[in-house]
Amino acid sequence: MNSKKSIGALALLTAGAFALTACQQGSASGGGGDSEDGAVTLQFQSLSDQPATQEAIQAAVDSWNSDNPDVQVEIIQAGWDGAYDKLITQFTGGTAPDIIHFEAASIVAFAQDGYLADLSEGLSEETIADIPEGIWDSVTVNDEIIAYPSTMQSYVAFANADLLEEAGVEVPTGDSMSWDQLAEIAEATTTDDVYGLGWGLGSPAATVMTLAPGFGGDFFSGSGDDVQIEVGDAELEVPERIHEMAYEDESLDPVSLTQSGSDVLASFYGGTVAMTVQGSFQAANMANDAPEGFNWVALPPLEGSEGALQAANPQTYSVNIDSEHVEEATAFLDFFASGQTLAAIAQADALIPASESAREVVATETGGEDGWEQILATADGMVGAPFLQANGYAEWKETVLNPALQQYLGDQISSEELATQLTDGWG
Amino acid sequence: MNTNMKTPLPVTVLQYLALGGFLLFLGFPVLWIVSASFKSSAELNSLSANLIPNEWVFTNFTTALERQNLLSSAGNSFLVAVSTMVIAVIVTLPMSYALARLRGKLRAAGTVWILATQVFPQILIIIPLFLVLRTLMLNDTLLGLILVYVTFTLPFTLWMMQGYVAAVPRELEDAGSMDGASRFKVLVHIVFPLLRPGLMATAMFTFVSAWNEFFLALVLLQSPELFTLPITLRAFLGAEGQTQLGPLAAGAVLATIPSLIVFSFLQKKLTGGMLAGAVKG
Repeated sequence: MNSKKSIGALALLTAGAFALTACQQGSASGGGGDSEDGAVTLQFQSLSDQPATQEAIQAAVDSWNSDNPDVQVEIIQAGWDGAYDKLITQFTGGTAPDIIHFEAASIVAFAQDGYLADLSEGLSEETIADIPEGIWDSVTVNDEIIAYPSTMQSYVAFANADLLEEAGVEVPTGDSMSWDQLAEIAEATTTDDVYGLGWGLGSPAATVMTLAPGFGGDFFSGSGDDVQIEVGDAELEVPERIHEMAYEDESLDPVSLTQSGSDVLASFYGGTVAMTVQGSFQAANMANDAPEGFNWVALPPLEGSEGALQAANPQTYSVNIDSEHVEEATAFLDFFASGQTLAAIAQADALIPASESAREVVATETGGEDGWEQILATADGMVGAPFLQANGYAEWKETVLNPALQQYLGDQISSEELATQLTDGWG
Repeated sequence: MNTNMKTPLPVTVLQYLALGGFLLFLGFPVLWIVSASFKSSAELNSLSANLIPNEWVFTNFTTALERQNLLSSAGNSFLVAVSTMVIAVIVTLPMSYALARLRGKLRAAGTVWILATQVFPQILIIIPLFLVLRTLMLNDTLLGLILVYVTFTLPFTLWMMQGYVAAVPRELEDAGSMDGASRFKVLVHIVFPLLRPGLMATAMFTFVSAWNEFFLALVLLQSPELFTLPITLRAFLGAEGQTQLGPLAAGAVLATIPSLIVFSFLQKKLTGGMLAGAVKG
């Protein structure tokens, strides 16, 4: 009898569940379009995950919507994890949103496949002039601007000022700090209990590719499918210097080379490493999570033989070329690109705004505190990177570059073998 | 065989020690995630590795509940997981019986086809699947997701249930037939009740598979109000590898509660040995 009741309950539950699910068609399923009153609705897929960022974006959208009753923007909140797979399915299935938030390294491939609209004509001259050319290069494909670059991260060295003082080292100031200086300070602060430097390079590809322009390391020439790789002295300079600090100077904690940046922060807070190189966004985490009285400072941008250059891989906002309202979507992006909006997003995400006006707002509002002065200084050296234009870069990065660098930084292979693996693994 | 032989004390102690060690091995990650859910961000980013938090923090739970629509996502996940479980069980039961008992070319073809469907990686078929669902107007619906989950879990559940069916002696069915029961009655009153442990295992498997699944839900669902729990929890992993570990741990702890409830309910029915002595050898 009980089992009959259970079966009945189960059947009822299933019928109810089906009735519910059958009625639930998602609000984002139909794509953007025109409503009955003639108003256009644009779907804006945002990946921003921080509450303050979401608020800043919502405020900008609300402001646009109230000023433009005929063109309404609807935010579709998504996440970074799996965003590439989701987007490729959306584009292939014809359900991609009108406005797409992503990052340059990943969105360029979609542009090369012809999925993104050219924004060159739709963005105002002020908007274009507000962003340095080097950053525009990162989102320019076949002479078309395929995305608006919003915010980006750089790599910044942070130091425990007390440990530097104990070692008799003056905290570097000025416009930049050379790699030699970094190595010298790391050696000077290394003791029996403390490593001079901790560097979370468990997945080293992004760091190495970003810092390579400092020594003129391009890795690639050409664009699209016609790309050649060259791994010479300039390209090997960054990994070789890291390797040298770890295994010759013994001033860089080799364990940290297998960890993530966040893992190394624990050692930094615990005083077992005097300095750490991190993504600039970690400054916000340090401001929140560092133990009370922990005296940390951001050091000047790292300078190589070519200058304090880093590859720009900004977050981006693009327009779907198949959108029925490309013009309206581009106009919204031009509005969205205001200094105030981007400054709010940048501060919430602890990232560097690509536009100069937004950087000025951030500099004023933060007063350069909590490392912002040095972080904003790194923006001056952001340049376009050839790897962004190379078809197949993402796959090569995961299957060749990361494993080969891990072996090299784990002292398993020589730099010549590293160069051979990287070259042979391309194409 | 003498079943009353007493196990020596040292062996018993070793058995319990091994069992305790195994339980600790299995349970430690769960304990750690529970511990992390009560730790402050500063403590999670320190070198201290205490299981007991230095300071108990409850804001991770409020953050998880407030920020990411955790409750509505949990509701969606529950709806999807229960529906998948029920449909998969209803479909698996007769199909597995047919596969185990019937002889013929269709059975062989069916078996090979089931195996073949397991060969294709999900990533390979996701775009065609998306296009099919869009044609059927089932993209961005929970119903579409449920049907996909049922399709993906069926091959495994069929193979699993086939084994249970094969273990039921044919003599029991013959005895029922000789007593005048129709084939349907034999199935309903003799075979299916004996398959209850297998059905419970199938139900648990399908529930957990659907409850935890991330990739298909990520791609097939577009609207935030339809997101399932794994999608919502992944939102705590941000760009550039930023992880909000405290709220993520709190969300994960909350997410395990419905699974535990379903397991505790089904586990009572997961009894073995029902066939012991059914047929005299």
